[in-house]
Amino acid sequence: MAEQIKEQVNERWGMVIDMNLCTGCNACVTACAMENNIPWVGEDDAGYGRGIYWMRIQRYWEGEYPETTPSYQPVMCQQCGHAPCEPVCPVFATVHSEEEQINLQVYNRCIGTRYCANNCPYFARSFNWFDYSYQIPEPLNYYLNPNVTVRRRGVMEKCTFCVQRIHAGQEQAKAQGRAVRDGEVVPACAQACPADAIIFGDLSDPNSRVSQAARSQRSYTLLEALGTEPKVIYLKGEGTYGG
Amino acid sequence: MSDTISRRNFLKLTGLGAAGAALTGCGKAARYVTRRPYYDMPEYGALGESTYFATTCGECPAGCGLIMRTFEGRAIKAEGNPQHPVNMGKLCSRGLVGVQGLYNPDRIKGPGRRAQRGHDQVTALDWNAALDVVKQALGGGQKVAFFLGLSPDHIADLTAELAQAIGAPAPVRYGALGMFDGRAGLAEACRQVFGEARLPYFDLAGADLVISFGANFLETWLSPVAYTRGYSQFRRSAATGKRRGYFISLEARRSLTSGVADEWYPVAPGSEGLAALALGRLLAERGWALPLDASAVDVDAAAQAAGMTRAQLEHLADLASQAAHPLFIPGGNALAHAGGLAAARSILALNLAAGALGQPGGLYLSPAAADSSSLRDVQALVDRMRTGQVETLFIHGVNPVFELPPALGFTEALSNVKQVISFASFPDETALQSDYLLPDHTPLESWGYQRTLAGADRPVYSAQQPVVVPLYDTRSSADVLLSAGLLPYSDEVDFIQKKIAPLITQGGNVQATEIATFWARFLQSGGWWPVQAALAAPSAPAGLEAAAPQAAAAPEGQFHLVTYPTQMGDGRGANRPWLQETPNPSTTVVWNTWVEINPATADALGLKNDDIVKVKSSAGEVEAAVYRFPAIRPDTVAIPFGQGHTALGRWAEGRGANPALLLAPALNEAGDLAFGDTLVTLTPTGRRRPLAKLESTAGVYGEH
Repeated sequence: MAEQIKEQVNERWGMVIDMNLCTGCNACVTACAMENNIPWVGEDDAGYGRGIYWMRIQRYWEGEYPETTPSYQPVMCQQCGHAPCEPVCPVFATVHSEEEQINLQVYNRCIGTRYCANNCPYFARSFNWFDYSYQIPEPLNYYLNPNVTVRRRGVMEKCTFCVQRIHAGQEQAKAQGRAVRDGEVVPACAQACPADAIIFGDLSDPNSRVSQAARSQRSYTLLEALGTEPKVIYLKGEGTYGG
Repeated sequence: MSDTISRRNFLKLTGLGAAGAALTGCGKAARYVTRRPYYDMPEYGALGESTYFATTCGECPAGCGLIMRTFEGRAIKAEGNPQHPVNMGKLCSRGLVGVQGLYNPDRIKGPGRRAQRGHDQVTALDWNAALDVVKQALGGGQKVAFFLGLSPDHIADLTAELAQAIGAPAPVRYGALGMFDGRAGLAEACRQVFGEARLPYFDLAGADLVISFGANFLETWLSPVAYTRGYSQFRRSAATGKRRGYFISLEARRSLTSGVADEWYPVAPGSEGLAALALGRLLAERGWALPLDASAVDVDAAAQAAGMTRAQLEHLADLASQAAHPLFIPGGNALAHAGGLAAARSILALNLAAGALGQPGGLYLSPAAADSSSLRDVQALVDRMRTGQVETLFIHGVNPVFELPPALGFTEALSNVKQVISFASFPDETALQSDYLLPDHTPLESWGYQRTLAGADRPVYSAQQPVVVPLYDTRSSADVLLSAGLLPYSDEVDFIQKKIAPLITQGGNVQATEIATFWARFLQSGGWWPVQAALAAPSAPAGLEAAAPQAAAAPEGQFHLVTYPTQMGDGRGANRPWLQETPNPSTTVVWNTWVEINPATADALGLKNDDIVKVKSSAGEVEAAVYRFPAIRPDTVAIPFGQGHTALGRWAEGRGANPALLLAPALNEAGDLAFGDTLVTLTPTGRRRPLAKLESTAGVYGEH
């Protein structure tokens, strides 16, 4: 019995996003919102920058007409190994989980100082300025995912690597007495991505698809110089030069 | 017990025990389930198992396969069906947000009769009374008309049979997405080039060069998820020596699709066909056997009309002649012109000359005949309505008052129709002009099938089944129509089973010897399709007529107008709050309509971001805020389609502008709307209204 339920800490979840394949279509953004009970805030609040996006597509323009070229980059919480958001939280709501090796937000600890968002170099965190979820009229709230907490006003939130799916995968594997298979745990964004540009898996397994992709010569991480050790790795698009 | 049990795992184990206890409990209480929102969650989280149903997405006609996760009778999350040949487990924003349609609080909740068209007041009706109305109406014979949307197919099949049985004209099937794809022109061009009026399927995955003429195949064109999957394979380099595909796009505005192109040429709207013909001539000089005589084309003049240089066209010809599997894709923006049919022919002819018909990396013909009508058929219906030849109009799956250009006169013609019966699930603009509201179930509550036309390498019957019990007092439109007893089917399921019965003997992914088992497996796997890829190779034609469409430059002070569909699709997505809040990929604007103007043009007109500008054409005018878009021709402006609803519920109503107001009812040879020929003028209004966008909040506090 004790053997069976020993804590498993050997997985190190990570993600690779291939900029060669990403089309910038935003399906991942919507998929994330629908999986994680992310509320919409409406036009006015969105205009004030209060929109809640656990991931977003950054679109930058390069060059002058007629050589104007957009670059699309999906950005979510980079799940830093050395996260700037963690040490600034006065109530330990922004913690590094030992079990999944990712950064988690403990909603019932959060008191809304927003220090973490201030210190996040990736702008990955969104704040609930109002009770957006509690304003969803019935029966529209029927689709809310029972595995994900609905957040209240005054709470910070961000990408969790779909931690509920990680747990579901781990529990299923445990029930069948085996290790989690590569590709068994897929976050909502990677599952939806029509171009299959997002690969998710265990970085500690050198043979996993994500590890193999991360070893590509095209790989880079965002704001590498800050030493945040992100677990989201990008593969440079082959069509871009000098970037 | 040892001390290695953590608190977390202790709770997990207790939870598992409790779940086991709940499963064995078959007492009286187990029969009663109350629906409650998850705010009132039991303290120790949700216990229980999810149930997954395979069905078909009803948000657009592409027919992607869904696996719907349900929990305690509620639809929770749409996921792609990994086995489905169209989307292979993938989904787009629209499919993902389908549950916001199902649970939309603004749905029509039961049958009703509107006291006066255009007014909100509706008297509730009993379904028996409603069925009597339908039965009586169907007795009208040839004075009955049906106007259907592009999905689902089973309603179209049933209505076609019904129309034949009562002697009514064949149903008209049309929608804004078909209009933006130029589907009638595409099918007609295929008929002229390959002898069959079908839609083409381009195997992007096997191609190494793609030249797109205004096709937004990563956004809404025909089957966007299937094409994005293909694009993903196209872009990969493989160990087998396959190189990363090279993508070139020719269109006036850099759309999301053109955004990922390696080379983008902002050609003048309407000059795409001419550019294709000139390219054909250059390729003929490089030894390609072009099925049409392009020798009369003046390459320099064509390049100039398109806004390109001869060197650029030569460069494209070099790339195409060196490529192993080049593809040339005719998109809606190239087809929506007076010379659209000739343009489609010229572009398809390039594929023919490339010699890749029915081979990997080439062009196939989709299995089913394109069964959507052209705008000419819609116009004929409007004429019949106007002259009083239509007594009863049945409308299903389409919102013509919003989707069609008002200049076509559909709304005015409605006043000469004695009774209008709408099957709409939502209170849209057309339902507002209808006498009877007989709401159909939403797609996630319905039976049905969709034949996928142009998004798979094989013929597909995609199965649709209810994933939840219908929420309201709605009724399947097929059952409503069958209740008149005019067709030999007992109900909707009986009709669908009879339609798919011939598939039993055809092999495929689903095998059975009789219909009951076949039906169960058909639903379980999400549809029927052959195990192997199987599409017809088009045949080569004798000779084609080369017609060079003349592109006219916009006169001084006027601008070409580009109208394009966004994630709102044909406009039905506007009542889904998360589609509204998903940023537009190119501009990051949410919840509104904008006008894209090249910054140089905007400077000349003294327009800043968020200034409201009046856009006026010969057909009408709209007002919207300016977005200075750096990747659009200076002589062209663009307005996205899908907003500007005057009905459709709290999230859609009174938001943005509908560019259909600007489109004149000019049809081309194929019966498509030549909306790409629209010319507009811009007048600053002096007012400002900041657009909400993700990219920056500068300006919302009143600065600059």
